[in-house]
This record gives sequence, structure tokens and C-alpha cells, in this order.
Amino acid sequence: MTILDVTNPVEPFLRTDRMPHIWCPGCGIGTTVNCFARALIESKIDLQSLALVSGIGCTGRVAGYVKLDSFHTTHGRAIPFATGLKLANPKLNVIVYSGDGDLSAIGGNHLIHAARRNIDLKVICVNNLIYAMTGGQTAPTTPGHAITSTSPYGTCEPAFNLPHLVEAAGAVYVARWTTFHVKQLARSIGEAFQKKGFSFIEVISPCPTLYQRRNKLGDGLDTMKYYKEKSKVKHGAPTSEVGLTMTGEIIVGKFVDRDRPDYQSLLHAQMVESLGESYVEPSETVCSCS
Amino acid sequence: MATATYVEEQRSTDKTALITGSEAIAVACKLADVDVITAYPIRPYDTVMQYICKLVANGEMDCEYIVAEGEHSQFEIVKHASACGARVFCGSSGVGWMYAMEALTVTPALRIPMVAMVGNRALDDPGAFGVEHNDALTVRDLGWQLVWVDSAQEALDTALIAYRVSEDRRIFLPCAISCDGAFLTHSQALVKVPSQEKVNEFLPRYNRADLLLHPDNPITVAPQGNEDWVMEIRRQNYAAMERSSLVLKEAYADFERIFGRSYGNPFFEEYETEDADIVLMGMGTLSTPVKVAIRQMRKAGKRVGFVRMRWFRPFAAAELAKSLGRFKAVGVIDRDYSFGSPYMSGVLTTEVRSALYSAPGSKPPVLGFIAGLGGREVTVPDVEKVANSVYEAADGKSQPLTQWIGLRE
Repeated sequence: MTILDVTNPVEPFLRTDRMPHIWCPGCGIGTTVNCFARALIESKIDLQSLALVSGIGCTGRVAGYVKLDSFHTTHGRAIPFATGLKLANPKLNVIVYSGDGDLSAIGGNHLIHAARRNIDLKVICVNNLIYAMTGGQTAPTTPGHAITSTSPYGTCEPAFNLPHLVEAAGAVYVARWTTFHVKQLARSIGEAFQKKGFSFIEVISPCPTLYQRRNKLGDGLDTMKYYKEKSKVKHGAPTSEVGLTMTGEIIVGKFVDRDRPDYQSLLHAQMVESLGESYVEPSETVCSCS
Repeated sequence: MATATYVEEQRSTDKTALITGSEAIAVACKLADVDVITAYPIRPYDTVMQYICKLVANGEMDCEYIVAEGEHSQFEIVKHASACGARVFCGSSGVGWMYAMEALTVTPALRIPMVAMVGNRALDDPGAFGVEHNDALTVRDLGWQLVWVDSAQEALDTALIAYRVSEDRRIFLPCAISCDGAFLTHSQALVKVPSQEKVNEFLPRYNRADLLLHPDNPITVAPQGNEDWVMEIRRQNYAAMERSSLVLKEAYADFERIFGRSYGNPFFEEYETEDADIVLMGMGTLSTPVKVAIRQMRKAGKRVGFVRMRWFRPFAAAELAKSLGRFKAVGVIDRDYSFGSPYMSGVLTTEVRSALYSAPGSKPPVLGFIAGLGGREVTVPDVEKVANSVYEAADGKSQPLTQWIGLRE
């Protein structure tokens, strides 16, 4: 066996014909995809039962690079699309893989309502703290005082604390890691696969081209060092206390792991209660393609 | 004192600047002293929001500026600010414009004189950043005034004209200025930036008068009308759009008087048409390759002209039909599509045919060409191919009514 025969274990999960990818040097999105693929290997999940949905933006491009059933939806609509998939075929494992701008700004309403209903979706939110693909504008996640292309002297708006938001809205699993925490992130994704209900994993990720550069925070490597030095693992930390600042501490860990009935269980219970024995379970969706 | 003199000079001096189409629109917003601007990033429109936010952050422009959480709220915010008497600016591109559609629909219905920039971009799917005109054209039936510009200078000038006409009490309709994505939004050119004094003379303050939403003037905006009044309200919009042609002509005349530059016919530009046998037509930056091709074809003895539609709404049907009646055949290049339309032609082609049908006088054959979709370049050989087909039609030879140009085999 020569070195050329060795395949990267995550390669079977990638559409290598689509490479090179569009992500910049030092970007963290590729790292998250690696962790995601490793979680798939680890959890031995049936890839035929898996669907990956993404929105628009840099992270939205993940849907095009993974060799899985995937859909690149309209801006902000990854969660409604995923909701439709899950309702039509409850046996599917539906992953929403998108960025902070897509999920919490233009798609913010869907995020909180999916968490409220506790739809059984696994949301991986890569948070690079700005709108990256469109040129680095202020997003709802941009920390105070950060310089962006729409805040040349620093943003004055308060930012969303996403773990706090989704916990308040009803998510049953909430975790946060950075792209430095590759093992922990892969493990969290694996845990979310086992969880029934709305799971949300935030991954803090660098955008060296637009966020780090404008704020003089160094390159991708400098950001890894920052993540390493300033991250503090606090499992079960109150999400109200995990808000981010530009250069401060990053609280990471599994914040929420609780159980409550998911939407489809609630719907089933209500149908049984109101229709009694006359209730007939809907037939399973069968894929007729070869 | 020295500072005051400097400021006075700045206000009263015309300048020349090397700026992009997007920057030209941003400069127009500054000169128009716009009060409220909302933004949401999408390429290629986002260039204008970035230039404006720099002007605001540097204290060069005094206005409220906010990055909304999506295009829908972006357009809703300025719509209501305008109802409260603020001069507003907004804009988007492609699917962003589509996401704002509910707000775009009610804006003309409520007689809100919003001025918006559309950085024309192909609609999804498949995702593409390049230019197509279908985004802005989606509002063509709703009461939006629609204009396509082809240079940074025209972008700046037209933005000033748009405020003047939209905020005229006889009109009170929104106006969308279409700038071809990349070709115009991102290309730099020398632009004459007029002095603030001249702009102030040209552009009166926005005055909503009795329609102002203000605690001292209690009115209800957008009450449920049902079948009682819908027809009458639609008819008012119809009348306002009908008056728009006249008010546009007044504005262009005043523009020439104050700024000393003329656009000739406000509605369409004619290029090398005086002795032309046939003419080509199109909107936006198509003018660049078409004009180059025409110069080359003329050297070879072919008398080809070009008519660039500037204002699509209102559509100057009678004037256009009168002009086109002089030629043996017309070829319209659409950077858009309208699947299932008459003869499967593009939007502009169908409108030109419609304008000619009811007009008195000669009716040249009109061939439709679909080209340059998704930002594909329209080349000089493409234009020559179009002209050759139009020449065949002029000679009475049968030609397809719709042809796709530059399509990969």
C-alpha cells in the first residue's frame, strides 16, 4: 500500500468532484464538515435515512459538498423545508446545516417556532458572527463594537445569544463549541442524532477574510489560539450567561439536555385522544426511486 | 471663517468623481438628503448599502440607517417611514427583491414614494450572481415606476429625477432604478457630481401634506376596503401612473435647465437611428456591446441603429411606435424571459409588439432575442448575429419570432 492508496476517512461523505470548495483559507466551515462526517461514522447512522438541508450563505454551501441527500434552500428557509421533510417522512434523520445570518436573521422566526414545536430536527449553526458571503455586514450575532462593512466604527446593536434564544423557545438539546473543539463537536453531533426533538449546536467559527481582518484579530491560526486560550468548558452553564463578546471568554459545552414530547408525538397523542379507535396511522412514505 | 468658506465652496461646486454605479446611487442619496435608509445584504445591491453606511458613519450624511433582519422588514420599515414624511431609500437584488414582494405590492397601493435600487440579478434556481431583468420586472403591473440606466452618471441623475417625480403630489408612486449587476453596480466611471445648491433647486422637500401620518393629523393608512372601494382606489393608481409621463417630462426639462445636461427623450435613447434601416432594442448595459457592434457594422456599410428603453413604466408606447415606424424591422434583445408568453418572447419584446399593434402608421416586424441570462456576456458577434436576422426579416424573409442567442450547444 502506498501513501496514495490511503483515503481520508471522511472522503466518502464528500462530493470531491465539486472541489476545490469556495471557503477561504482559515475558514472554519470545512472543519465543521469534517466533524459532522466523523460523527456520522461514529454513530453508524444509516445514510439512506439522512437528509441535509441548508440555507444561503457560506455555510449554506455545505449541502452541495456532502454526498448525501441534500437541499440548498432559499435564504432563511432551511428550517421550514426540513420541517416539511420530517413531517412527510418521520423516519428521516433531518439535519439543518446553516449559518448564523441565515438561521437567526432572515430565518429567525422559523428557528424559534421549530424549537417551540420541538420538531425533531438537528440544527448545526456555524456562527462566524457576520454575513460573510455578501461582504461582511453586521448580523444579529455580531458582538458589540465589532467593525463590519456596515459598521465602520463598530456596531452599536446588541447581539443574539443563540443558545439562550433556542433554550427559551423550547429546544431539548443545546450545545456550543468552537472549530478548535473538533472532538467535542463531533461527539455533540453524535449525541444530537440520538436525541428526539429540536437539537441545536452552535459552532463558533472564524471568518479571517472579513471578520477577523477588519477587527485586527489575526488570521485563522491566531483565531484557533484565541479559541484555545479563551474557551471555557462549562457543561450545564445557564445559557443566559454565555453571551459572546469580541475578545472575551467563550463559554462552550453542552448547556441543555432535557426531554419533552416532540411535535409528532404530540400530534399523534392528540389524534388518538380525539378520534379514538377510528384513528388510522398515516401510511409510511415510500420512495419509489431505484 | 475659513471652514465656512470651504463648506460653502463644497456646496456650490460641481465635481467629477471616479465612482461605480452603486456609489453614484449612494452619492445621489446624499445629495437628496434622504432621511431613512434600510438595508439587507445581497449581491450586487449590497455595494450601495456599504457606500451609504460609510457616508453616514463618517458624518457626511445625516440619516437613519439600519440593517434589517431580512428584505421583507427592510422594505416595510422604509414604507412606514415614508408615510410619516421621511424621504426614504431602499433596494435589493434578485431573490431578495422577491422576498420583499408583499411590501413591494402594498407600497404603490398606499401611494408611498419610495425610491429603490435594484441591482439586477438572476432569480434562483440555479443560484447565480449575474444580471437578469426578471427581478425588477416582477413589479411591472403593480404601480412601480421602472427605469433602467446604463451608466454611473445616468444612475446618479436618474435617482434625483426619481425622487422629484415620485414625491410629486400628482404621482406619489414608488420608483425602482435598475442597475445591471456587476456590469454597472461594480464598474467605475467618471461621473459629474452636481453641487448641493443645484440639487436643492431641482429637488423640493418631500411634503405629504394631508396624507401625513402624524399625531396632529390623525388618519388611518391601509384600512380594509373590500369590494366597496377597491376599483376606485385602483383607478386612482392608474391615473397617477398616467400622469407620471407628463411629470417625468417636466422633471427632465428642469434637469436640463438646472444641471446643463440633457437626456433628450426621457423615455428612450436613440443611437445612430437617423438613417438606419433596422434597429436593435434593449435595456441597461446591453447598450455597450450593441453600440460597439453598430459602429463596426456601420463601417461595413450596414445602417443599423439602437433604441435603448430607459423608462419601462410608464411605457411611452405612442412615442416609441412613432419612432419605430421609421424602420424596416426591429430586433429586441431581452435580458429576461417570460415562459409561455405570446410567441415565447421576452418581456420587452412583447411590450414593443403590443405598443406597435394599436399605433397608426407603419408597423415593422419585431423579432425577439433572449440573451445574456445569468450574467452571460452579450458579445459583439452575438449582436451581429441578431442584426443579420433582423436584416433578413427586413427583406421579407421568414425568421423565428424568438431566438436564443449565445446559448451553449
